[in-house]
Amino acid sequence: MGKYILKRFLWIIPVILCVSVFVFTLMYFTPGDPAQIILGTNATEEMYEAKREELGLNDPYIVQLSNFLKNVFLRGDLGTSYKTQQDVLEQVMIRMPYTMKLAFGSVILSILVGIPLGVIAATNQYSWKDNLSMFAALFSVSMPSFWFALLLVMLFSLNLRWLPSTGADTILHYIMPCVSVAVGGAAGIARQTRSSMLEVIRQDYITTARAKGMKERAVIYKVALKNALIPVVTVIGMQIAGMFGGSLVSEVIFSIPGVGSYILNAITTRDYPTVRGGVLIISICFCLIMLLVDIAYAMIDPRIRAQYEK
Amino acid sequence: MNAKDNGDMLLRVEGLVVKYMTDAGAIHAVNGVNLCLRKGETLGLVGETGAGKTTIAKAIMRILPDPPAKICGGNIYLNGEDVLRVGEHRMRQIRGNSVAMIFQDPMTSLNPIEPVGRQISEAIREHASFSRREVEEHAKKMLEKVGIPRERYGEYPHQFSGGMKQRVVIAMALACNPELLLADEPTTALDVTIQAQVLEMMKGLKEEFGTSMIMITHDLGIVAETCDNVAVIYAGEVIEYGSAQEIFDSPAHPYTIGLFGSLPGANKNARRLKPIDGLMPDPANLPTGCKFHDRCPHATRQCMKEEPTAIHLTDTHYTKCFLHWR
Repeated sequence: MGKYILKRFLWIIPVILCVSVFVFTLMYFTPGDPAQIILGTNATEEMYEAKREELGLNDPYIVQLSNFLKNVFLRGDLGTSYKTQQDVLEQVMIRMPYTMKLAFGSVILSILVGIPLGVIAATNQYSWKDNLSMFAALFSVSMPSFWFALLLVMLFSLNLRWLPSTGADTILHYIMPCVSVAVGGAAGIARQTRSSMLEVIRQDYITTARAKGMKERAVIYKVALKNALIPVVTVIGMQIAGMFGGSLVSEVIFSIPGVGSYILNAITTRDYPTVRGGVLIISICFCLIMLLVDIAYAMIDPRIRAQYEK
Repeated sequence: MNAKDNGDMLLRVEGLVVKYMTDAGAIHAVNGVNLCLRKGETLGLVGETGAGKTTIAKAIMRILPDPPAKICGGNIYLNGEDVLRVGEHRMRQIRGNSVAMIFQDPMTSLNPIEPVGRQISEAIREHASFSRREVEEHAKKMLEKVGIPRERYGEYPHQFSGGMKQRVVIAMALACNPELLLADEPTTALDVTIQAQVLEMMKGLKEEFGTSMIMITHDLGIVAETCDNVAVIYAGEVIEYGSAQEIFDSPAHPYTIGLFGSLPGANKNARRLKPIDGLMPDPANLPTGCKFHDRCPHATRQCMKEEPTAIHLTDTHYTKCFLHWR
């Protein structure tokens, strides 16, 4: 198991290398001149040229790429922002906690709602409970999250004045952002839980568990749900990972200074070092989450654990 | 009827009717089955796949999937108590404790993500107020009883072979020392050499624990080896019932006779096996009259119209066939 985890850790390196080359190339070929954006439209051509020279933008592609890779992988230096001259790594790390709180808050919320809903739907297949929860799930998946976020703001901030509409200082500030992101997530988890529970509760070992005289609740939650969890964990992992890029809509609507809006800003101002650095850090997080998902598989299913140990 | 007047009667099934309700209509799985089992005896339920044998066993434990299965009529008395009419709480005390079941396919009847020992412990913990350590100790003893070293308590089902898994299932079923063991084709999924071992072990344990047993099988060899009485099931009905000796020596129903005819080596003169022509009727669309008439070499017009009732050939041997009425 330890060997497996180490192997997976080492795999992150080539993945990040590929991502680096890819992001760099993509940004290189994106039209737009950082010099112009930094200096504004009133500078002279000489000033632009001097700026481009200073930023190394006049070097050939391959030179720029190798400089970038050298800095990242040999010195661990993601560079400084063209715009603010601040260290990119530092800036991303300042914003990461906000994104993390939003990501984990909303995922925990969607797990707490989605799994029980899916179990109820599956154990009462075709009943009104099943129909109602699956309708709710379909509705929440189809609903645009920005629209729902705005509805929340209207109700809880403007009318009832219970919750602050912007900012990220207290836990109160996170309630609406998390809820608005979690509805979609909960719906996805509920649908996945339902379908994998339906498959599991037809298995023979469920009958065996009942035949032992176990309580129905224990049969459902201890035996069936645990067996049905693997595909659900996959969905949860994808959701967390997806949110590291920032639940952008939520961050913008609720003015949360997270990674998503930071990178979006950098893209519009052609702040290459910030975009590259941000994307790299997000990909590292993504890899780590996927590793955690695989470890969770092993914890749930001894057959997968046995495979890892080979 | 109450079974109290009959002291050593453990199980009495009367007029059991089970249907599966589907969109396409009701499937008549069990149609008025009567069975009885005395303490310490083994009753064989013999019949083709789909005859309703497993449904009968699951009805006794009340673990039929509902929906679609519905128990539509009948009584099942266990020690005089009608288990079809007790509450779910009482039923849970019976399940796994007074009545336990061994399932057909050991590959799928164990929870794949739980150590086997824990699965046995769970059964014990539901019914006995032992401490955690006592439960574990008892489970380990049960493993040893079925010939598995106690060190394997913490291993998972995928680490066991098919025969070993079935031993685990048997250990689980016997863990609470049930009065009645329902064995649903316990050896069908195993290869022949393992079959013999498992059967031998079951016989030994049955004697050791004094358990009564219902052995569901389509293998007449197993019936001959293990059963005191035999009920031949066809299309959800008991069409012949008697002691094992009576059924083997003087089978009365044409279906039973056909079963022996399709057995290799039962008739030494026969060069070829004689299968029973045709298929079992579709339980969603049962024929009128005797359910066997379209496959029966002796069928008359009466067989197509009227349903034969049981006729007793001896005190213990009866069949549902007009041949014996004439």
